[in-house]
Amino acid sequence: MLLQLEGIFKWVNTGGRRIFLLKDIDLEVEEGEFISIMGPSGSGKSTLLNVIGMLDGFNEGEYNFLNEPVHQLKEKHRANLYKEYIGFVFQAYHLIDDLTVYENIETPLLYKKMKSSERKALVADMLDRFNIVGKKDLFPSQLSGGQQQLVGIARALISKPKLILADEPTGNLNSKQSLEIMELFKQLNEEGVTIIQATHSETNASYGKRIIHLLDGARDDYNK
Amino acid sequence: MFKNYIKIAWRNLLKNKGFTAINIIGLSLGIGCFVVIAMFVTDELSYDRYNEKAERIYRINSDILFGGTNLVMAVSADPMGVTLKNDYPEVEQYTRLYASDGSKLIKKGLEHIDEKKVVHVDSTFFDVFTLPAIIGNTRTALTEPNTVVITKSTAERYFGSPDKAIGQMLETDDSGNTLYKVTAVVEDVPRNSHFKFDFFFSMANINYDYGNYLSHNFHTYVVLKEGTDYREFNKNFIEVIDKYILPQASEFMQINSMEEFEKAGNHVEYSLFPLTDIHLHSSREIELSANSNIQYVYIFSAAALFILILACINFMNLTTARSAGRAKEVGIRKVLGTEKKSLIWQFLTESTLISIFALAIGLLFVWLTLGWFNGISGKEMQINTLLSPLFLVFLLCLPIIIGALAGIYPAFFMSSFQPITVLKGKLSTGHKKNTLRNFLVVFQFATSIILIVGTVVIYKQLQHIQTAKIGFDKDHVMIVNNSGIPTETRRSLKNEIEQLTEINSASFAGFLPVEGSSRSDTTFSTETVMTSSNAFNMQYWRVDYDYLKTLGMELIAGRNFSPSFGSDSTAMIINETAVKLAGFENPIGKQLYLGGSNGEDLVTYTIIGVVKNFNYESLRKNVGAVSLRLGNNSWESAFRFNSSNVNQLVDIIESKYKAAAPGMPFEYKFMDESFDSMYRQERRVGKVALTFALLAIVIACLGLFGLATYIAEQRTKEIGIRKVLGASVANIVKMLSTDFIKLVLLAFLIAVPIAWWFMNKWLQDFAYKIDLSWWIFAATGIIALLVALFTLSFQAIKAAISNPTKSLRTE
Repeated sequence: MLLQLEGIFKWVNTGGRRIFLLKDIDLEVEEGEFISIMGPSGSGKSTLLNVIGMLDGFNEGEYNFLNEPVHQLKEKHRANLYKEYIGFVFQAYHLIDDLTVYENIETPLLYKKMKSSERKALVADMLDRFNIVGKKDLFPSQLSGGQQQLVGIARALISKPKLILADEPTGNLNSKQSLEIMELFKQLNEEGVTIIQATHSETNASYGKRIIHLLDGARDDYNK
Repeated sequence: MFKNYIKIAWRNLLKNKGFTAINIIGLSLGIGCFVVIAMFVTDELSYDRYNEKAERIYRINSDILFGGTNLVMAVSADPMGVTLKNDYPEVEQYTRLYASDGSKLIKKGLEHIDEKKVVHVDSTFFDVFTLPAIIGNTRTALTEPNTVVITKSTAERYFGSPDKAIGQMLETDDSGNTLYKVTAVVEDVPRNSHFKFDFFFSMANINYDYGNYLSHNFHTYVVLKEGTDYREFNKNFIEVIDKYILPQASEFMQINSMEEFEKAGNHVEYSLFPLTDIHLHSSREIELSANSNIQYVYIFSAAALFILILACINFMNLTTARSAGRAKEVGIRKVLGTEKKSLIWQFLTESTLISIFALAIGLLFVWLTLGWFNGISGKEMQINTLLSPLFLVFLLCLPIIIGALAGIYPAFFMSSFQPITVLKGKLSTGHKKNTLRNFLVVFQFATSIILIVGTVVIYKQLQHIQTAKIGFDKDHVMIVNNSGIPTETRRSLKNEIEQLTEINSASFAGFLPVEGSSRSDTTFSTETVMTSSNAFNMQYWRVDYDYLKTLGMELIAGRNFSPSFGSDSTAMIINETAVKLAGFENPIGKQLYLGGSNGEDLVTYTIIGVVKNFNYESLRKNVGAVSLRLGNNSWESAFRFNSSNVNQLVDIIESKYKAAAPGMPFEYKFMDESFDSMYRQERRVGKVALTFALLAIVIACLGLFGLATYIAEQRTKEIGIRKVLGASVANIVKMLSTDFIKLVLLAFLIAVPIAWWFMNKWLQDFAYKIDLSWWIFAATGIIALLVALFTLSFQAIKAAISNPTKSLRTE
């Protein structure tokens, strides 16, 4: 078991009223799974991914990640956990504008206090694998959207995570670029990486081995 | 339209209360500082201008280099004024002041008051200086002997009112007991006058050997006719020297011509000096009061201007920092058809509005701190000075100028946003390339560092002076004024006090090595016939047997005066400088001669001892020649005490004095305090510099804070990404601070040589000075760095602990 959510609630209070972002979410994820989370805008897909990625907290429920009780961990310990095991891919790529492709991919390693030579080797491998060696000195603004997302995925993979969380990874791409990225995810999953993606698109969702539906913050699988 | 600008501006200010507060506080500190200094400078420049003839009044200065002594004096010889008036038609009037008496005891009821603000003046005094009469006619008030003109507050003090004072008699201790009749009462001497007197006595009561061109004892002022160039007039003094001074000098010693006199290394020069320049440009010997220095006016003005600029820079930085938040508004306005020009006006209105608030608070600061600033600067400035028309115009213009100065860059910067870019929410222009902003930070910190170094150096130098080896022991010595004690009872009083266990030693002598004590210098020669090559000037002090012992002075050769030697009345102890000037190899037993010309008797002194040099003037000067001889001079007494209960000691001595002379004032001071007061000016400058340095660093930090906020805001997305990629809080703080720290280091490198140069120049005024050691600079650099780091870390940590999911949200 990679992770397990049990009765997760998350809410905000506005104007005296409690608005639920997540409502009683139960979810178990085994290693090697490829899960798609579907749902309309505002249904809580991103929030759920952020909770799973430990970037955001929740108000109620239990969350175990690799048998560690995340809801009981201290901030620092939690950060170490996601640093070690989780990679993030974003819809808007979120590359750092002032860094080159090479430097963007290298960044997570810097925060792991890895030696320079080791870093070099790992980044070189990654550039090789994604066929972007020739672009390593370019800045994000000089790349197409598909290429930027490729760099984003390379960056997520560099620290060899067990789990990749992708929030609308193809939302800003055209259909051809989307296809390439989804094929890449499929291939990664076959190599053993667990993937959870949030998406609007039925086509993309169908890449997942399991689909979870969300509506207004709650699981809505049974209506489908 | 304008109303709309103000409305928007007002709402914006309210929306970002924190920003507005920092902005207004920084700016109001700058403005407050600027206004105070403007008042200070105006006050300094206003000295003596209350005189109607101010532009035409000149003082006669004397510069005499003779016998190794350089006399730079504010006084001149007694006949000089009348000679100029008789011989040169350009001279409309002259007047003389004779202040050598120092103080007078004046009787008020049964009490004697020691009045220090006393002077004897010529009857023409009120014709030259403008002091309006309240009662009496000042034109004729002082023509007769035994007359006195007093100021309004003095009249009130002694008689209740000017009306009651007129015609009354004042009893003084002049030559035992002299009565003066009050013939007029004038307005008080304005604060901004280079002299401050309460009593103007008639010159006719001065018993002086008039007509002597070689003694300089009178402050002489002349009024030139309209249109006379005083520099041109100064050339006449060559003629005066030839015609009047040379004949007297050749009687006194053997000189036949000026050429011969100058060949021996001597020099005599007289000149007119404008009255209005005295306060800021004159620091001669025997000034009527301690003057200020134009240098400090320049330094303070520059510092105030810099602080105002620092505050304006902050304003720019903080406003541009906020611009990202305003970008959307700019975009929408542009889409709705607003022109760039009217956007610029909108932002300028906003900055002017802030300046007006800042001015109001700044003036509040001025009002609150003026008393304190008066204290450290020794001024008596009033807040209502600001209501003068000149200041009102200045204060009205100030916010407009500052608003424009500080607002112009943000206005252009923000109004040039492209609507498409900002509305898409993509406003992140390359933050690393902003050289202007970097320059501003460097400028702010360089200024702060220079001011801090300046402050540290001034304080070190003051400390150095206080602990310097001055050749005598200034601690544990009490000085008491003896002028009220009848001469015949002084000896028994001294014996009585010497018996006290708290007293180690007592000496009665008016010549003490601290400010305010008597000085007397005379020309001695090493041979019986004085020539311009064997003569030299030397302090000529009358002391008693216990003088050296009481003051802790060290004899390096020979012996002290002693009652067991009958011949000690013509014995002399000289200091090391005197030995050098006289050119003696082995001074003990050698003779020095005084007088012998003009039919005077030649007095021969035999040197019995050499005292180690001691500083009797400010440490700005090197020690001059001093001779000590036994004499009956006991205007002041010095008591070396061993008691730690100073108050009790003062009480005991006071009771002894009161018993010896009932009804006489008892005045005492401590030698170390008198010594310290010689450096009042430096201490003031030190305090003002400290204030400026603190203000500068506070303002610079406010600016840095603003910039850090700006950068954090610009890099929010990046910080979010980095956190998701595993960056810790420490990583982020380091990333945000590094760039600024580099700028502070650069500022340090720029500031060090500038500060070094300035402080080196300042120290050159001192004969005894500290070295500018490297650690002063190093310590300042470290302080600036730490303060900057502290300021930065606040914003940086705030940015670093914020939740990345917020900044990375795409919807």
